[in-house]
Amino acid sequence: MTTATEARAPQAVSMRRILPPIVTGQEVVLLVVLVVLWVLLGIFTPAFLTPGSIGPLLVQVAPIALIGVGMTFVIITAGIDVSVAGMIMVSAVVTARVLVSYDVPAIVAVALAIVIGAALGALNGVLIAYGRVHPIIITFGTANVFTWLGLRVFNSSTVNGIPSTLEFFGRGSAGSTLGVPHSFAIAVLAVAVAWWFLRYAKSGRNLYAIGGNQNAARLAGIKVQPRLVWVYLITGALAGLAACMIIATGTSTLDQSVGSGKELQVIAAVVIGGTSILGGRGSVVGTLLGAILVQTVVSGVTQLGWPTQLGFLFVGIFILIAVGTDIIRERARRARA
Amino acid sequence: MTATTTTPAPERRAEPTSRVREWLGSGILRDRAVLLLALIIVLLVAMSILDALGLTSGTFNSDYLASTLIAYVPLALLALAELFVITSGRGGIDLSVGSMVSLTGIVFAMLYQQVGLPLLVAVVLAVAFGALLGAINGVLTAYLGYPALITTLATFYAYRSIALVVSEQRPISGPEISEFYNAAKAVELPVIGGTLPLVPLGVFTFLIPVAIVAWFVLNRTTYGRKLYAIGTNDTAAQWAGIDTRRTRMMAYVTAGAISGLVGVYTVAQFASARPDAGTSGSGMALPAITIAVLGGVAITGGIGKLSGILLAALLIVWLNASILLVVPGNEGAQAQLLALGIVLLGASLLSNATIRRRQAGAPPRLAVPATAPGAPK
Repeated sequence: MTTATEARAPQAVSMRRILPPIVTGQEVVLLVVLVVLWVLLGIFTPAFLTPGSIGPLLVQVAPIALIGVGMTFVIITAGIDVSVAGMIMVSAVVTARVLVSYDVPAIVAVALAIVIGAALGALNGVLIAYGRVHPIIITFGTANVFTWLGLRVFNSSTVNGIPSTLEFFGRGSAGSTLGVPHSFAIAVLAVAVAWWFLRYAKSGRNLYAIGGNQNAARLAGIKVQPRLVWVYLITGALAGLAACMIIATGTSTLDQSVGSGKELQVIAAVVIGGTSILGGRGSVVGTLLGAILVQTVVSGVTQLGWPTQLGFLFVGIFILIAVGTDIIRERARRARA
Repeated sequence: MTATTTTPAPERRAEPTSRVREWLGSGILRDRAVLLLALIIVLLVAMSILDALGLTSGTFNSDYLASTLIAYVPLALLALAELFVITSGRGGIDLSVGSMVSLTGIVFAMLYQQVGLPLLVAVVLAVAFGALLGAINGVLTAYLGYPALITTLATFYAYRSIALVVSEQRPISGPEISEFYNAAKAVELPVIGGTLPLVPLGVFTFLIPVAIVAWFVLNRTTYGRKLYAIGTNDTAAQWAGIDTRRTRMMAYVTAGAISGLVGVYTVAQFASARPDAGTSGSGMALPAITIAVLGGVAITGGIGKLSGILLAALLIVWLNASILLVVPGNEGAQAQLLALGIVLLGASLLSNATIRRRQAGAPPRLAVPATAPGAPK
């Protein structure tokens, strides 16, 4: 064993130390759990493993996975963003109002939603990076402000008669190509880009350094504050894009509960995916699998005819199991070192 | 060696006077309780002026302020629960308090209404059940090493789900519970009665006893000192011989027990046990954490005072009540969100700026109180 390690070229050893394996243990575990769940659900509810059931499931996964990409960045830097629901609400209601009033093309609506989300995210980022207050406090504060803003735009009523401009993201036949929902494909694309970014781009590696030890990262010459602003800005932008998907998958009416509870769902997907809440470790592939797992559990419970609310009990249990296995593996890793 | 150990002595003797001078020189921002008190006074004066000018939609007087205290009780109690958990350090936080409120409320209503237990027994069992839920959080966090955010996110989902499933998503109500409503309604104080406004009974039956016990535990018991010690520096506390896991776990148990009590209170307040009492909308956990932070509890642990919690909750409740008078209807309810957000952001940014300015100037002071075990002699 020792001779083999010594024989390895120093370059290879150092690369191995810097980059984790392409698929980490947590992702394999998740994949196995998902396969087992899908097979079990397929056996007990024959309707589960049909395109008519998997398609809508993937459509619902898409916004969670998409925001999960940004949230993974945030949590890798040892931050957290609990204002996601507020950002979704503001982006969704403004975009819906514009769609109703001005009949703009889809691309303009999507751009508008993303810009609004990015602006709100940038506000989070600036306050966190330069105010140097713990992210959870800042985003609790901005969550309240964003919710107020969203409710003001709602103006105590619902937004009615939203045109089907955004059907590209929807559940219908216009929303999928060859059975793959567009929104899910976009989420997978975002995950792929983020995976490359976190693994190979210099600024991606910097995020891990910031999460591992912010002071050390600063002393190593990393521009910590601009990086943090970007991370929260991207989360906001993705929340904006997700808002478009949420509008498209809903009815022609948007009510004030839009986005409610999404922040915790996204955080659940990220931590089930193996990203350490303490920062410095995590992967977006895990987040995608985590999002699929959460939605599978919630939909599966409904399809089995159990009370819908029971699904969230299992989500809680899965969070504990996923993080528990991660803690055990981390201890084993440290014991070996 | 002897020289270094004896030199701090004269410095310590001079401390009381220097502390007073320091406090006066630093202005009001350093002590959170003073800042909050000042804000409350500013609010009351501003509202009195607006009321005198006739710009409010209702009368702003002591009766109105006293009646809003019915919302003050659960808010202050849950913020107190967060004080224990956040002060215990290592990322301590409890997102599950709202779910525990819902679940213990349902359990209480079942025991009291459907099983027919005496009131006192049902209340004690409900609080004990809350403590059990908190103990689950505590074991996972303190003994198994889960980050508190993860533990309580998971149990937030789990407890909320159990509350909704067990109750079949229907509120529990009945004659006994309707009778119990009296526990929350406003009463005239005996003895000093007529001269004071009517204060909701819940303040006396729920809040004040808990606040007195909490003050005693935090400031006059070894447990309190241990709690601040593990929150300030976990490793140092361990080396000082403190059972850090047990101490941390007890913080979560306390939070659970207080949530259980709030669960009972909400049953009284609404005259029925709602399965989503603590989780509807954005839930009770987020306001509770917000108020704890506003009250000066450091999210990094080790710092937090009961006075800050009580004043911060009072500020928010009265601010909300004032907003409803100035901005009536739905808009007012929405403006409360804005106010809460702005006050939280402003207070945390401001206090952080003052802390940093102090750190830049003076050498850091020990955060562990001199009476704590392991503090330098």
